[in-house]
Amino acid sequence: MSDNASQPESGEIVDPTIHHRSTRQRRGRQPAQVGALNLTSMIDVIFQLLIYFVVTASFMIDEGVLTAKLPQGSGSPVPADELPPEKINIRLAADPADDTLVRIERGSANNPVRYESFGELAADLDRLRYDPEIGRSDGIYEPDNPVIIEPQGTVRWQHVVNAFNAAVAAQYTNVSFAEAAKP
Amino acid sequence: MSKVVQRGAVTPRMNITPLIDVVFLLIIFFMLVNNIVSEETVDMILPELDDPRTREVGEIERVVVNVAPEPFTRTGRDEFPLSHAGRPGYVKVGTGTNSRFDADDLKGITEKLKSAKADNPKVEVLMRVDGAIYYDKVQPIMAAVTAAGIETVNLVAYMPEE
Repeated sequence: MSDNASQPESGEIVDPTIHHRSTRQRRGRQPAQVGALNLTSMIDVIFQLLIYFVVTASFMIDEGVLTAKLPQGSGSPVPADELPPEKINIRLAADPADDTLVRIERGSANNPVRYESFGELAADLDRLRYDPEIGRSDGIYEPDNPVIIEPQGTVRWQHVVNAFNAAVAAQYTNVSFAEAAKP
Repeated sequence: MSKVVQRGAVTPRMNITPLIDVVFLLIIFFMLVNNIVSEETVDMILPELDDPRTREVGEIERVVVNVAPEPFTRTGRDEFPLSHAGRPGYVKVGTGTNSRFDADDLKGITEKLKSAKADNPKVEVLMRVDGAIYYDKVQPIMAAVTAAGIETVNLVAYMPEE
């Protein structure tokens, strides 16, 4: 038996995981044992944290929804002229020079109100809403009056959703889409 | 006879086994998650809204109707998302086999959604439509969705920035 085999010295607690050595050897080896840090479990945990943050940060964070109740039944929208007279028509037309741009109008085709931006449209729709709760009684449209968005066929979907968003922002609850109008 | 301690002969070695374990776990995890996410979503640029009022999708029974644009390059559209021909490439309804339809296959879309509604009457539709597509290409698809008797259609757009 060699002198560094497991052999408890008198008075020491026996621990099978510890490799016991003679006093002389232990004293000689001591500086080499300092700094043996076990990093494995820390790396495990750091990778787990990394996974967690990468996953929560990247998927589907940007996407949200605007809820629309679309008309039922026939599969085609109700013609605009069958709705009650208090409807609000928002017409969207593509700019003839650049079809990524849009022209926004509200009201009758003969005497429309034009808007420069959807923010302007939302502000005006909000102003027109009858809302005694905030002390405004001169609004001419109830919040559940139908708002009908009538885009031309060549208007980009982004502008259509933007018009819908403006009506939602102005707190109208009954917003619908008309069939594509001819340019 | 005492053993001679041979210093220098032992080369220090890193135990990389647990590292490999974790890296493989990561690889598997991302492969699975990517599969699950890409199963429902199609690459497109959603409408960019002024003052968005979009809200997060809650826990709903949903079918995602993707109206994908014709193939495009990200670099060409990052600055001007609407610089696209505006025609839909295909429509993907839900997941699984035969979920992909031509944009003019309105009957097929309606049938697929009718069966989804038969399975679950409370089902809601999420319309993911690329912002650049012309309205007269989207409107028939919306009509096909409502023809299936779906009551609630959610238009998907980007969330407001924090």
